[in-house]
Amino acid sequence: MANAPALTAETIVAISPGAMLRRRIFGHYGLLFGLSVLALVVAAAVFAPLLADHNPYTQDLFARMKPPFWMAGWDPDHLLGTDQLGRDYLARLLYGARISLLIGIVTALISGMIGTALGVAAGYFGGKVDLVVTFLINVRLAMPVVLVALAIVALFGGSLQIVILVLGFLLWDRFAVVMRSSVMQIRGLEYVNAARAIGCSTTRIVLSEIMPNVVNNLIVVMTLEMAHAILLEAALSFLGLGVQPPTPSWGLMISEGKEMMLFQPWLITIPGVALFLLVLAINLLGDGLRDVTAPEAKG
Amino acid sequence: MKPFLATGVIALTTALSCGQVFANKSDDTLHTAFSKELESVDFYFQSAREGTIFARQVWDGLVYRDQTTGDYVGNLASSWKWVDETTLEFKLREGVKFHNGEEFDADDVVFTVNYVVNPDNHVTVPGNVNWMKGAEKVDKYTVRITTNGPFPAALEYLSGLVAIYPNDYYAEVGPSGMALKPVGTGPYRVESVEPGKHFVLKKFDGYYGGPKGQPSIGTIDIRTIPDINTQLAELFSGGIDMIWNVPADQAEQLAAMDQFTVANESTMRIGYITMDAAGRGGEGPFAKKEVRQAIGYAIDRQAIVENLLKGSSKVVNSACFPSQFGCEQDVETYSYDPAKAKALLAEAGYPDGLTVDFYAYRNRPYAEAMMAYLADVGIKANLNYLKYSALRDMQKKGSAGFGFLTWGSNSINDVSAITSQFFKFGDQDFARDEEVKTWLDTGDKSVDDKVRKENYSKALKKIAEEAYWIPLFSYNSNYVFSKDVAFTPTPDEIVRFFDMSWK
Repeated sequence: MANAPALTAETIVAISPGAMLRRRIFGHYGLLFGLSVLALVVAAAVFAPLLADHNPYTQDLFARMKPPFWMAGWDPDHLLGTDQLGRDYLARLLYGARISLLIGIVTALISGMIGTALGVAAGYFGGKVDLVVTFLINVRLAMPVVLVALAIVALFGGSLQIVILVLGFLLWDRFAVVMRSSVMQIRGLEYVNAARAIGCSTTRIVLSEIMPNVVNNLIVVMTLEMAHAILLEAALSFLGLGVQPPTPSWGLMISEGKEMMLFQPWLITIPGVALFLLVLAINLLGDGLRDVTAPEAKG
Repeated sequence: MKPFLATGVIALTTALSCGQVFANKSDDTLHTAFSKELESVDFYFQSAREGTIFARQVWDGLVYRDQTTGDYVGNLASSWKWVDETTLEFKLREGVKFHNGEEFDADDVVFTVNYVVNPDNHVTVPGNVNWMKGAEKVDKYTVRITTNGPFPAALEYLSGLVAIYPNDYYAEVGPSGMALKPVGTGPYRVESVEPGKHFVLKKFDGYYGGPKGQPSIGTIDIRTIPDINTQLAELFSGGIDMIWNVPADQAEQLAAMDQFTVANESTMRIGYITMDAAGRGGEGPFAKKEVRQAIGYAIDRQAIVENLLKGSSKVVNSACFPSQFGCEQDVETYSYDPAKAKALLAEAGYPDGLTVDFYAYRNRPYAEAMMAYLADVGIKANLNYLKYSALRDMQKKGSAGFGFLTWGSNSINDVSAITSQFFKFGDQDFARDEEVKTWLDTGDKSVDDKVRKENYSKALKKIAEEAYWIPLFSYNSNYVFSKDVAFTPTPDEIVRFFDMSWK
């Protein structure tokens, strides 16, 4: 704005912050796309029992591998066809969305709590606390996530709970790094010093002075980690070490369809496309949120 | 439409890898693939099916089982007789030469047998050979093999599991040399070996014939390609002429394309459900006979066979493959009857069903199908899908007592290769039934066929009656090969390249 001296007074109309935000949101197509796809997946997951008129666990060995609706010979009873045990593919896809979202959200919450606690402590207190946390972050970064997850799951057996716990306790590093550096930038600012000077408790300073100013970073990292966790779950399930059958999981569906790749390619393309869209949507949403809440950081 | 699409995809994906010049009928070379990477091509130092297939081309045994008649005929031996209950005397064929020119005589047999039975040499599957005590030379073409106690299945084991090595050569190079440059008397000699990757076999011009007959195809080129989809892609592109163990669904599609010959043959492998009746992993629901029987009634084995295994697979009711010697067929059967299964569960004290851990190591779709049937009668089975070695280790320690497993009997056509392996208080015996063990022992030790049949029958009847196992189905194998190749598969799952020819 400062570089536009030609502007006249009439064009500079005061815009309310709310309207500004709305304008930013609706002008950001990536954000809109991400938001709508995510909303769609959430709706599918929540209303799965209403949308699917089949039970995802009911097998019918006499109706195996029926093709989906865009191919010849499809069965109106099974819009997306059936898998190699004759289970309705649409039902499995919808219920699979529940698993993916559940894993994404719970993992992001667990890792978010661990990472934020460590990062804020390191950034706010500095000194020895910072040294310890930095050491922990380094240790964590030195561990290859997939290998550690594989080892733990192989040791304790795969199940939904174990996958969520393993991923939750492995994916906190980015939270810690981002929180640490953002808190460091803020802790020396005047209003924090003022709060300290009037005798506010540390808890109060952290919760009401620091957190509100770093929460936009937190949300961005959270969306990224959600997408990351969903992909990792799919990878683990694909390798047979994640969610165990017959639970419908997109990764597992891809893994089960792999053998049929040449002749029944839709068995892997349908869950594959679903996974791709969901992860893309979450990433776009994260990017969009960053752009909207902190436009100055837009690169 | 679909097949064309598939062909298109395959053509695309393989276009890049087609730099090499493929040969087939025109230059007398058959290209094929092994799914498993062989640990060694030395027959005694590996345990894979592929190793057995390789060995049959390169080495001969003393006897050979004719696949059409089921009779034992002389291979390296010309005749044999039982001198007493533990001594077999062989007259050897004269004028046989090894690939390196060494002459075959009694010394080779004596050396090979004494080498493999010596525990210091650590052969990979000791059970294949440790029924023999040793061998001694009588004269240049006569040899005696002594067994550890009476062993009625001796000829069956000799025909399949004891390949005769050249004594001078093996003494010199040992297993490591044999693994790189194998030498035998068989119809094919080994041209080159890239361990675990690539093997080239050439017709052995000095082959003596014998029951295997003279080979017809000049060169056999075998590569290791673990993934079935890659194998199929190579088949489409002409990179290989034949593959086997093709899953039923793919085989069906390939047959519909009419571009290849698809042959289906049953195998000796059967699937079964084992249950912890003895309570080795602590007192569980399977200690109750009603629960075990309920499992049998709950699963629609016929539907699984018809829709998943297809081909020549059959429902199996006795704890062995039907063609095996002593495999009693007149046993208690458990046909699909979910109502009865529920009633039995209620009777056993589980009217609301139960939750159990279920173990499996191959054919996950089959395991899942069974789990869905179990869920229908109220049994919630949590699947633990492991590697076979891990599963076997758990069973050694008494856990993983409820699972879907399979056994191929090493293609030995005798009940002692399966029932006796699993019901004589071994690592994987979860029945621990003294009576069954005694009957099996009597059957294993007797050389009188009538006594053997009688005892095996008693054991198998009790196993079915008590539902220690729920035998499920026999497996089949799909062989897919170029229309230029003439080949008839056999139920012992051994691909005989020397029986193949070009059309």
